[in-house]
Amino acid sequence: MDPAVSIEGLAYRYRGQQKPALKGIDLEVAEGEFVVVMGPSGAGKSTLCVSLNGLIPNFFRGEMEGEVRVEGRSTREGKVGEFAQDVGLVFQDFEAQLFSTDVALEVAFGPENFGVERDEMVRRVERVLGQVRLEGFEGRTPATLSGGQKQRLAIASVLAIEPRILCLDEPTTELDPAGKLGVFEIAEDLKASDDVTLIVVEHEPEETIDADRIIVLRDGNIVTDRPAREVLRDVELLEESSIMPLQVTRFFHEMGLWQGQLPLTPEEGVAEFRRRKWRVNPGRHQRLVDADKKREEGYGEPVIQVEGLTHRYPNGVVALEGVDLTVRKGEFLAVLGHNGAGKTTLVKHFNGLLKPTEGTVVVGEEESTEQRLRRPGQGVGYVFQNPDHQIFSNTVFDEVAYGPKITGMQQGEIEERVKEALDAVGMEGRGDENPFGLTRSERQRVAVASVLAARPEVLILDEPATGLDYAELRAMMELLKSLNEAGSTIIAVTQTMWIAAEYAHRAAVVRDGKVALQGTVREVFTQEDGLQAAALRPPHIVSFSNALGYPALSVEEMFEVTEEEG
Amino acid sequence: MDPSVYLDRGTFVHRLDPKTKIFLLLGMVALAFVFANPLYLLAVLAIVLFFGYLSQSMANLGRIWPILLAVAIASVILLSVFGGGQTPLFPFVEREALIYGVGIALRLDAIIMAGVIFLSTTRIEEVAVGLVRLGIPYRFAFAVSKVLRLIPTLVATGTTISRAKRARCPDLDSGNIISRNRKRLPLLVLAFVTTARSDKVSSMAMASRGFGAGTGRTYLLHVAMGRRDVLILLVFVLLLAGSIALRVMGYGGPEGS
Repeated sequence: MDPAVSIEGLAYRYRGQQKPALKGIDLEVAEGEFVVVMGPSGAGKSTLCVSLNGLIPNFFRGEMEGEVRVEGRSTREGKVGEFAQDVGLVFQDFEAQLFSTDVALEVAFGPENFGVERDEMVRRVERVLGQVRLEGFEGRTPATLSGGQKQRLAIASVLAIEPRILCLDEPTTELDPAGKLGVFEIAEDLKASDDVTLIVVEHEPEETIDADRIIVLRDGNIVTDRPAREVLRDVELLEESSIMPLQVTRFFHEMGLWQGQLPLTPEEGVAEFRRRKWRVNPGRHQRLVDADKKREEGYGEPVIQVEGLTHRYPNGVVALEGVDLTVRKGEFLAVLGHNGAGKTTLVKHFNGLLKPTEGTVVVGEEESTEQRLRRPGQGVGYVFQNPDHQIFSNTVFDEVAYGPKITGMQQGEIEERVKEALDAVGMEGRGDENPFGLTRSERQRVAVASVLAARPEVLILDEPATGLDYAELRAMMELLKSLNEAGSTIIAVTQTMWIAAEYAHRAAVVRDGKVALQGTVREVFTQEDGLQAAALRPPHIVSFSNALGYPALSVEEMFEVTEEEG
Repeated sequence: MDPSVYLDRGTFVHRLDPKTKIFLLLGMVALAFVFANPLYLLAVLAIVLFFGYLSQSMANLGRIWPILLAVAIASVILLSVFGGGQTPLFPFVEREALIYGVGIALRLDAIIMAGVIFLSTTRIEEVAVGLVRLGIPYRFAFAVSKVLRLIPTLVATGTTISRAKRARCPDLDSGNIISRNRKRLPLLVLAFVTTARSDKVSSMAMASRGFGAGTGRTYLLHVAMGRRDVLILLVFVLLLAGSIALRVMGYGGPEGS
């Protein structure tokens, strides 16, 4: 029998690009296998995905070498539409792949194209919407769904074709931790019930433990292709490849265990910790708790005060209800919560993008409803999730200068502001470059710089992790940390639990429009039940240390408080 | 933001076969062209509004009133100034030209409103199915539906972008109309670029879901002419025929001819 996918010597260069995206890939995936593809930004992961159903070479213009065979048939030999029945492909940009006016039609689009009988189509729509937990949404317009729901709909629309091979390109970036787990459960079900072959691009290691194999791509080459648990134990290789290692694994690696002994999950970690008779030094742990407290006491006056905030959208949906929250100067606050909980709605009140239906939001001295977003250089800067919605100038300099320029500053002052902002994001001296030639992470830096140029007191970021690999995300978070240490108040809305644990000081968990938990990150992350109710999971290292009775927020903290026997 | 014009109201107009609605739209346009006299056109407009009321689409008509007003004012002014006539009313303006201008204004507004009602009551997919059932190839029907979708998408993208801009530069709304538009121009370019980029992904996604696979296509939407469709088409054909007869008999023509 032919393998599901066989790739020989695949190299590809997009038209107009100097560097090839893929350099010589040899890969075979057997029917029913679950393969995870990992790697840094620009490694060629998405290019590999689009070569599986013939988009490369049939849709993109570029130079292709080598051969991709799907169930024995070369992708050069047919149209994309023909391979679509064998290979279901879910793209990273899930918004752009939804184009129908309601959910049922979206799901039916694939089966319609393949001439599936109407009765069968109705059955499939019902079944796949059940699989992705979108029952009852048939008549909704995709544009009105939350990010996570859109992502699940994109998956459903491909599942309805009943492909033998399913390729998901970063399917969980917008999902809350429970939703992430949900996608992998769907995948596991498909594999178990129908022997579907799965090829999934993923950057969060916690989701990949159950895969059969992990392939690491770097600069268009396969660096490693081994069983998943083996690759996950290779902490050094992962770090070199800008892939986040599992936290528990990294902890034991740093404690000096050799590769073969490394545990992967919090449960395995706890067992290993106890077996080795290691213990947590209570005094050292107390010092961490005391440091939290001291930091709490050091904050300045309140910069944002929310009282009894209720927000009702024009369509009647109540997004927030009776929210009370105070943010003090110098805080680093993480706003957490499930998809559609109201996180973004909440922070949009902080700079007046939205107005309270009831209650008050006081920013600095005055209420944000009265600020009307008019005064230049006012207190709150907001970085949107997608930098491409912000950037339009031809040079980085003009982009960052846009705010200061339009508020009528003198040339000298503008230049000073731009330099200051570019220095702050580590883009000094790159003012002449074209933003569209930059990588996603650099564009995000430009977007942050353009907000910093107004010298805001408070900086709000909506999901700073999207589209960044591990190394880039670390760099972005280090940047925020240094801005925070220099006096800025930072508010980050995020689904990425480990960055909240490691970088934020305080956390507010929004659940169904209410603030369900708030406090120091350590306090909040100790309450695993409360987090679970909000569809959240603490990161592995936190679960691991919670189980030992001494919550630690990062591998470094855990390392600091651990004592070996004797 | 929801970029579609469609209002999911489930009125009997919504439930008509899309073919019927395509015919009704064409018939409405024809009706607007039969007459030139403002009084008669007012009646045509009333029929359009009646459909708007029946189909609960008035909210969408409300959304576009500035466009309707602008079209009306422009045609009245342009045609009454540049049009000819015998009876001077104001300097440069003759009575006949003014009436003609008002007539054209009513005609254009009636057509625009009929179009908006059509889109408010017909899903874009239904338009495509309707066209296919009328014998138009699916690819072409799909292209039509894609164009219909493009404009609202552009508007939605533009809104997101201008919000992003406004959040860091609060000054977007100040200044006179010229300087305001100068500030907005780059946003428009960005909206086009972003839409074009996501359009590329949509095309890829469509191909990846079998668009153009070549086999006989089926449709989830169940489309069939019912008794109601036949009835309403019949009434409309009579109305149209009656109107044409009236006009042939010399009623409802342009003033003074």
